[in-house]
Amino acid sequence: MRMRTQRSLQDGRRMRRLVLLTLGGFASAAHAHHSSAMFDAQQSLTLSGTVKQFQWSNPHCWIQVTVNDKTGPVEWSVEMGSPSQLFRSGWRPTILHAGEAIVVVVHPMRDGSKGGQFVSATHADGTPFERPSK
Amino acid sequence: MRYRALVAAILWLTTAAAPGATPANDARAAQFKRLPNWTGLWVTSVWQVGLSGRPAGGEQELRENLQLIKAPPYNPEWNNRYLAGLQDKALMDSRNATLKACTRSFPALMEAAWQFQIATLPEETLLVFENGQVRHVYTDGRPHPSGDDIWPTPLGDSVGHWERDTLVVDTVARLSSEPLAPRAWVSMLSDSARFTERVHLVDANTLEDRLRIDDPVAFAHPWDITLRYSRVTEMSRMIPTNCSENDRNPIVDGKIIITQP
Repeated sequence: MRMRTQRSLQDGRRMRRLVLLTLGGFASAAHAHHSSAMFDAQQSLTLSGTVKQFQWSNPHCWIQVTVNDKTGPVEWSVEMGSPSQLFRSGWRPTILHAGEAIVVVVHPMRDGSKGGQFVSATHADGTPFERPSK
Repeated sequence: MRYRALVAAILWLTTAAAPGATPANDARAAQFKRLPNWTGLWVTSVWQVGLSGRPAGGEQELRENLQLIKAPPYNPEWNNRYLAGLQDKALMDSRNATLKACTRSFPALMEAAWQFQIATLPEETLLVFENGQVRHVYTDGRPHPSGDDIWPTPLGDSVGHWERDTLVVDTVARLSSEPLAPRAWVSMLSDSARFTERVHLVDANTLEDRLRIDDPVAFAHPWDITLRYSRVTEMSRMIPTNCSENDRNPIVDGKIIITQP
């Protein structure tokens, strides 16, 4: 397992909180389906593993990634946008396949559970996932 | 001569029997011809999202661009209530953290992330959203219902008319117990709120909705907002969103969690 945690400087975090409070006095996000307050947008976590399953579903698509931890294989759930939103970004249900290597960056869950909000993903060699040619 | 008369009779019968040839249908077809073509898919310019389903600039970008979360022009009494509500950070944090919404009330629906299509018919204009919600704007000259034929609903009651290529919509009877929009948790309106929209095409790929909210009970003056929509060019059909299909985000102990598949 390879995980890199990138934390922002404490001062930067304080400033961002101040900006958010100034803008409306509310906490964090909400979108078409649910709030994103459950994710820590200040942290990015890189997961290297294999695709167990790609769920092309509403209201969110999910990548289930198996990551080999010190304790053995651990399954992570990576939440993406809706099929409609992925479609607009050029993705299709056939773009990911079970068993293939993947490097995916997420904003992790605040509660420490094995899940996160999708930020980006590449093949193990760093090349982007692209729609198979017709 | 008899042959010519026979042909003429057949022609008369076939044209008279054609469904499009009745005077009513002719008039409707003429009305159709005068309506602007707003076909295609539209999405609010605020929610230009990528694979994550969130705008690239995150929450900060959203808060800068969303119009309905800005402070309404309340009169002193309602403004005091509004400011007091803003102080209840625990309540707002809780509402924000547990927000799960697959529908919106009006006018929040007009600033939601969902794509929509517009069908302009002579009798009404339909705004069909990918989450399944539909706004009916009746343009056949009818007034709003009166008396006990009308009651507050999340989308209210909308009637409209065309001023050249601009659709002018009048909406009343919006449910006042609903906050104005997600994030605007303490922005409330009274039962007297009235909404006027002027919807028109700015260019081939941009639609604009100039929204005026007038609430004589709550506001010091009417509130003018401009909402903009971009044509979706990456897809040519609507893919419906169904929140119950694979909902892996239950709320447990006041927090949204992720379940295993």
